[in-house]
Amino acid sequence: MKKISWIQPLLIISILLLVCAPAFSGSLDPFQGEKGVLKISGGTAHIPVMKDAAKKIMVMNPEIQISIAGGGSGVGIKQVGEGLVAIGNSGRKPTDEEISRYKLVLHKWAIDGVGPVVNPKNPVKALSKSQMKDIFAGKIENWKMLGGEDRKINIYTRDEASGTREVFWKKGLDEGEIIPGAHVVVSNGAMKSAIAQDPYGIGYVSVGHIDATVAPVALDGVVPTIETVQEGTYTIARGLYSNTRGEPSGLTKKFLDFLFTPEGKKIIEEKGFIPVR
Amino acid sequence: MKPRTLEIFSIVFAWIAGLILVSAVLVLLGYLFIKGYTCLNLSLIFGDTPPLRALLFRARVFDGLFPAIAGTLVLVILSIVLAIPIGISTGIYLAEYAGSRIKRALDAFFDVLSGIPSIVIGLFGFSFAVFLHKQYSNRIGPCLLISSIALSLLVLPYIIRTTQAALEGIPSNIRMTALALGATRLQNVFLVLIPRSLSGIMSGIILAIGRCAEDTAVIMLTGAVASAGVPRSVFAQFEALPFYIYYISSQYSDPEELMRGYGASIILLLLCALLFAVAYGIRKGLSHFVFYRP
Amino acid sequence: MKKIGERVAERAFFLSALASSLITVAILVFMVFMGLPLMREGGFYQLLVKPWAPYQGAFGIYPMIVGTACISLLGLAVAFPLSLGCSFLITTIAPKPVSRVFRRLIELMTGIPTVIYGFVGIFLLVPFVRELFQDGSGMCVLTAALVLGIMITPTMTLFFCDSFARIPRSYLDAADALGASPVQKLLYVILPSARKGLLNGVILALGRAVGDTLVALMLAGNSVQVPESVLEPARTLTAHIALVIAADYESPEFRSIFSCGVVLYLFTLVVTFLARYLSFAENKKA
Repeated sequence: MKKISWIQPLLIISILLLVCAPAFSGSLDPFQGEKGVLKISGGTAHIPVMKDAAKKIMVMNPEIQISIAGGGSGVGIKQVGEGLVAIGNSGRKPTDEEISRYKLVLHKWAIDGVGPVVNPKNPVKALSKSQMKDIFAGKIENWKMLGGEDRKINIYTRDEASGTREVFWKKGLDEGEIIPGAHVVVSNGAMKSAIAQDPYGIGYVSVGHIDATVAPVALDGVVPTIETVQEGTYTIARGLYSNTRGEPSGLTKKFLDFLFTPEGKKIIEEKGFIPVR
Repeated sequence: MKPRTLEIFSIVFAWIAGLILVSAVLVLLGYLFIKGYTCLNLSLIFGDTPPLRALLFRARVFDGLFPAIAGTLVLVILSIVLAIPIGISTGIYLAEYAGSRIKRALDAFFDVLSGIPSIVIGLFGFSFAVFLHKQYSNRIGPCLLISSIALSLLVLPYIIRTTQAALEGIPSNIRMTALALGATRLQNVFLVLIPRSLSGIMSGIILAIGRCAEDTAVIMLTGAVASAGVPRSVFAQFEALPFYIYYISSQYSDPEELMRGYGASIILLLLCALLFAVAYGIRKGLSHFVFYRP
Repeated sequence: MKKIGERVAERAFFLSALASSLITVAILVFMVFMGLPLMREGGFYQLLVKPWAPYQGAFGIYPMIVGTACISLLGLAVAFPLSLGCSFLITTIAPKPVSRVFRRLIELMTGIPTVIYGFVGIFLLVPFVRELFQDGSGMCVLTAALVLGIMITPTMTLFFCDSFARIPRSYLDAADALGASPVQKLLYVILPSARKGLLNGVILALGRAVGDTLVALMLAGNSVQVPESVLEPARTLTAHIALVIAADYESPEFRSIFSCGVVLYLFTLVVTFLARYLSFAENKKA
């Protein structure tokens, strides 16, 4: 009799736990019993969301291995097309030619903006579009000309594979020139830390990446924030895509589906993007 | 009295040069340790995961250096295992079998090989992986195995050189004794010469390990990524300490992550210093030939 | 039976030597093969002198060649006097115990990982240079060259010490017999006869400076332009490879990095054979 007295409550608790367990994980359910490797690469704006989602999934199921690499949108599209990775992220819509050549299937899971940023110490926090074009074209060379300190403007840009660069160049600079003397960094994260380090720098970064270490620059009076992007008043906006070659299946599909569950959307919002739908 | 001035000038100049170099190193190391020593604890390596569970691969480590350390370890072991047999046998061939003409030609090849910039070796590894991917299997891409192969090419000349130098350094009376007693050439190599030169060969291998552990340029092209977890297969991408340091230096997102960069630097530095000390203990004076690396 | 074993072993040793040397060739062949489409288009020489402007269809690597030359030569200019001074100190000037400790320290320095030089450079030297000159971002040719210079000094110093140590004993005895002080011996006997050895050390150090990736990648700012001053950013051939490797495999951008690879490889060849020639010449004389 003595024995049963503690086994019974234990039994009840464990049964209760079993019943409730699905309620705890919810969105992560499909990953149960799954195992394998998932390789992701490409757009660097996506990385914080990818990392967080991967962490949640891998904590829940240690049999799943997800590796995340950057490289830029061009790389993501190319690598998924070549079959080197299962998911290739891009911060721009793949071109029709890319879609047909690699039979890409696009999964747009968030809206993002691309905003110019400066160091928080910089007093210049508003520019007109033509001023910004002049800065990147090298016509305005000194912060003094914009009401700042008497120091040269250090321009930071991204490499050719970057989707962020392409969107900013098309919609922000109207395909204007970016001087070859601009510093080149390889990701949104690198852009953020470069501007956070350099009080006289200006660059552009995914709106989701803007935090206290860098200051957004108002463009024609509109500050790039997630709200202005959502309202449509800030116009340098774009979708964040995860591309697969053909229809996704297995773990790849489950991962992409996860981004559209309530828990996935919560991660997307936390990282500063607007979830789709 | 002009010559006198020149002499005094050179003395002063030499001391100043020495002082500049020493202070540069002290600033470098001092900065690293002063900024980074506060973060040297178990959570730097294991994050929030209990260490034992992580070590038994029961739980994954996030926000810790464990996957990067494990990746570096596996990488080093694989590359050394790949490089040793071919490196040592080439060294034996050069020292014991090659005629002087062949030896001169081969010497030139290995001089070039040891001079090739590591990024070019990395580029070779990368394009080799893409080539394999296109020709043979969709499953092959930049991965741990490709990185190890590329790294083993990088350290191959060091192992060849140290083996050759160690064998050639054996005095001829020892070299001849066994042969005179009727041993074959092969027996002489394996029973007399190799055991005699073991310390030299070992120190070369250890320095090659150090070279594998610190290299960044090769692995960043051939499969090291920012986030992959502990490597499960040689066909998987992996994390590594030097790449982690490079990655953090440009893309840290918060001060905490930056601190882990300092921590990783200190760990890598200590690791290299330790390997160096061991190699030095085994054999003195060989180091800079082995550590000459373009 | 024994004889077959011997033969097999010898064959195996020979084959591994052959394989290792073939790798050296294979790397060059691969680079040329992959870069061929682009090189054939406009000629290899054209690539070397054209600017880099991917949007205008120009994939020349001229700015990277200039950037590499600036950073490595400036780095050498920093390292050469330092190494010369340090090798003086070790060889004759410092008292025995000091020189021994100093030599150990320098040997240890050769083992400091490159990425750590870069890491400390970003957070220590970049802001320092920016504020010192009140110009630019601090990520520039000068910063990269300074760090590179410090990094190659230990290796260069040890090479210099070696070439000093190879001076024939008889020369030194002659100087001693004439009552020369150690410094006089160094200046008038050792230094002139070690000239070729010094040159050899410089050439090998230049090879290492050109081949370094991480320092330039992390500290030089990576802009594709011909720098007009040492405070402007620049990109080296090696950093260019690291940055563009990510591009589309069939694009001309991607092909162009193989021409960087070929240039670096050919440069290595020149350095190696020059160094070999010099050390043969030195040995013949000794």
